[in-house]
Amino acid sequence: MGTTRRTVRTTCKSCHGICGVLATVEDGRITRVEGDPNSLTRGALCSKGAAGVQHVYNPNRLLYPVKRKGERGGGEWERISWEEALDTIASTLKRSMKDFGPRSVAVGQGTGRGYNEYTLRFTRSIGTPNFASIGYICYIPKLAMTGITVGGRLYGDYHGWGREYPKTHISWGKQLEVSNADGEISTWFLDALDKAKNLILVDPRATRLAGRANLWLRLRPGSAAALALGMMNVIINEELYDEEFVRDWTYGFDQLRERVREYPVEKVSEITWVPREKIVQAARMFAMDKPGCIQCGPSIEASNNAAQNHRAVLCLLALTGNIERPGSMVNWIPHDAGPQEEWAREIPAPREVGIGSENYVGLQIFGMMHFDTAVKQLVEGTSELKALHIEGSNPFACYANSKQVKEGLLKLDFISVADLYMNPFAEYADIVLPVAHWLETDDILDMHPRFVIGAVNKVVEPQGEAWSDAKIYNELGKRIAPEYWFDDVEKMLDDRLKKAGITWKQFSEMGCLAKTGKEQSYYKFKTDYWRKGGGFPTPSGKVELYSNVMKEWGLDPLPYHLEPNESPYSTPGLYEQYPLVLSTGGRLPNFFHTQNRQVPWLRKIQPYPFVQMHPETAEKLGIKDGEWVWIETPRGRIQQVAEVFEGIDPRVINIEAAWWYPEDSGPDHGMFKSNANVLTSNDPPYDPVLGSVSLRALLCRVYKVEA
Amino acid sequence: MKTQRTIFIDTDKCIGCYACVVACKAEHGLGPHPTNPPVATPEGPELIRVYRIGPQMRGDEVYQYFLPIACMHCLDAPCIAACPRSAIYKDGETGATLVDDSRCIGCKFCLWVCPYGAPQFYEGKMKLCDQCLDRLKEGKKYTACEAVCQARAIYVGPPGDISNRIGRKAAERIGSEKHAGNKQ
Repeated sequence: MGTTRRTVRTTCKSCHGICGVLATVEDGRITRVEGDPNSLTRGALCSKGAAGVQHVYNPNRLLYPVKRKGERGGGEWERISWEEALDTIASTLKRSMKDFGPRSVAVGQGTGRGYNEYTLRFTRSIGTPNFASIGYICYIPKLAMTGITVGGRLYGDYHGWGREYPKTHISWGKQLEVSNADGEISTWFLDALDKAKNLILVDPRATRLAGRANLWLRLRPGSAAALALGMMNVIINEELYDEEFVRDWTYGFDQLRERVREYPVEKVSEITWVPREKIVQAARMFAMDKPGCIQCGPSIEASNNAAQNHRAVLCLLALTGNIERPGSMVNWIPHDAGPQEEWAREIPAPREVGIGSENYVGLQIFGMMHFDTAVKQLVEGTSELKALHIEGSNPFACYANSKQVKEGLLKLDFISVADLYMNPFAEYADIVLPVAHWLETDDILDMHPRFVIGAVNKVVEPQGEAWSDAKIYNELGKRIAPEYWFDDVEKMLDDRLKKAGITWKQFSEMGCLAKTGKEQSYYKFKTDYWRKGGGFPTPSGKVELYSNVMKEWGLDPLPYHLEPNESPYSTPGLYEQYPLVLSTGGRLPNFFHTQNRQVPWLRKIQPYPFVQMHPETAEKLGIKDGEWVWIETPRGRIQQVAEVFEGIDPRVINIEAAWWYPEDSGPDHGMFKSNANVLTSNDPPYDPVLGSVSLRALLCRVYKVEA
Repeated sequence: MKTQRTIFIDTDKCIGCYACVVACKAEHGLGPHPTNPPVATPEGPELIRVYRIGPQMRGDEVYQYFLPIACMHCLDAPCIAACPRSAIYKDGETGATLVDDSRCIGCKFCLWVCPYGAPQFYEGKMKLCDQCLDRLKEGKKYTACEAVCQARAIYVGPPGDISNRIGRKAAERIGSEKHAGNKQ
């Protein structure tokens, strides 16, 4: 008997990208997962996508719905039916909302992986305002600030559809080359980088791109806005700005010019620890070698100054005219099915705002709860929150001050979790649901590259009784708010595509729906696209250097630098006790946040987390390369392995984020041994727009682990 | 025999993402395989391995690059000469250096003599990059490592093509320096 063999075209969901995949199935088992050469990502994948098969056939996966037996965290579970699991969750949430009000229930998710539409729609459909997402320190600040400044979103034009590629790239606190593809794909970026003249790296440490950079600005963590303002100071003083764009298409140039006078290069050099001449050189390079793009990541968003960090970067783009011209930052025309979160937002938002978002207009607009406030209220015993359903997230690992997050969340009356694997948070749940892997699901992947959605086509049936995110939310939604949900997943997917006038079956065959090449256009502000007679979709019709929206919110309409809550300058007393600046954002190409540590091909690449420190620092502390060391802040201490590393300032160390050890025993699975958030603070003041919390710029001390 | 293919790594482009390492294991079905419970330090062969050199500061400049290394399929391969069981041989069709599992005794002498540390050992036998000959037979154009590479840093082909690639790049570089002012 010969083997039966078939190939399925699908889309990788291992991160925020949208990479085309071909999966080969032999005798019902996936034998090969590789890039699809005929996709927009031309056959390339990253290690995470290429290892997909080790998720599907991983013996640690959750296979059946279970309910807790005995104490929380006791590790005893009883297998139950989906019917019982969903009925229990639905009736608990309903009862809680009836007895204690809609704010007593929260729905959470981890980083979006093309299931955001379901979590958000579900939250809205059941009538709670508590959408608990990590977005307020990751990507939402970018969306919010780009929205009020430019009136849309901005993406790097790496595609050459306007017959021009970026001449100068700035990689700003971001490793687009290997990690989190917010709005972009590394494949596109790297192809464009090959054609560029300059790469400016703005990062506290030498990232993987450092060897390719013409210029490295080794800024102090937490000083992004100051650096951007300093660069603008040079650009304005030397009259290097794009005169025509600034004159015709920006609002508030005079006010911005006044503001940047407060940031002369000498002062900015003192704030940022970047030598004066490098700031000048970077400013000239970016202003003169055009077009250019800036990629900045969550490192400037996990900050008490998240909004202004982005505003400063956006003003830098506007001054240099790097908006909407070919090879610069462009607001793509969406594919025909329209932005998929609009599908989730079809359901009106509840009247009440989410817990803790009362003072944060950005959170209210995006319909989110402020997680840190909720945790603090739970710890104090003053919270309204009683029940939490969370999918694809381990909040102990991903929110600030892990130990307090655990203390707070364990006070909830009810927790349900949906995931591929048991994790340190799920261990304390009342019900745990098994989720299907992307190779086992039919779905529509709409991540941040706005011009395309991809078809996630089921390659094999799910292991055990795992269900797709889509099915879980549809079945759960039907039990609470049937008017907003569908007969089955296929009908739901059809509904998501209705604007494009196609069905799921058609889309599944097509593989993707995209607007590329001649279907995109540039300089849309010179046409009627956003406004009759031209302009941007902002209050003034121009790019708002001076933000009318910020003014209306009672906030500073111009960008400014704000010291992190903990820093050598804001808390000099603390700096004496904790004499190193701590950057916590380190990401690896083989992991995506807390994911993949159960996958041997990926774990083998790096089994333990590294803390990078300069050789001088290591020598002073008596620390050798490869040794486990303690890193301590006022919140607690963790261990990581010392990597003696020249590519960092001797006054700064960098640790890796999101670690836990699935091989360690439960319930905590090594959660508190190495995780960066054991060290981070969830204390206010938060960012005034979005409630973002400072995770990436803290103070710490480091010492050897004594045997 | 066709012209033998050689792997070429463009170290100006590689960003050390390890996708080639994983794609190679996936293509060849190599371990480490998932276990329950998982292990922190799973063991397994790496037919292609990635090394990070640097970062070192040289004045103001960062010196750093990444280099994936696999079997170079040497024309006069020292491993073939060293193998006491004649288990390593050249494929008549492609010139690739291959291992006959049935003859290999896992003595590791090939590892002693290989200038690249290429031989790997798995389940008692030596394993080596086979230039994805099975993929070629299926009609696929690229090896697994070359196909997966986001940075387009890997190329597997005849030495003449590699020479032309490097030559073209040099020509472009020289051109951009010498003729930079012409078109502005």
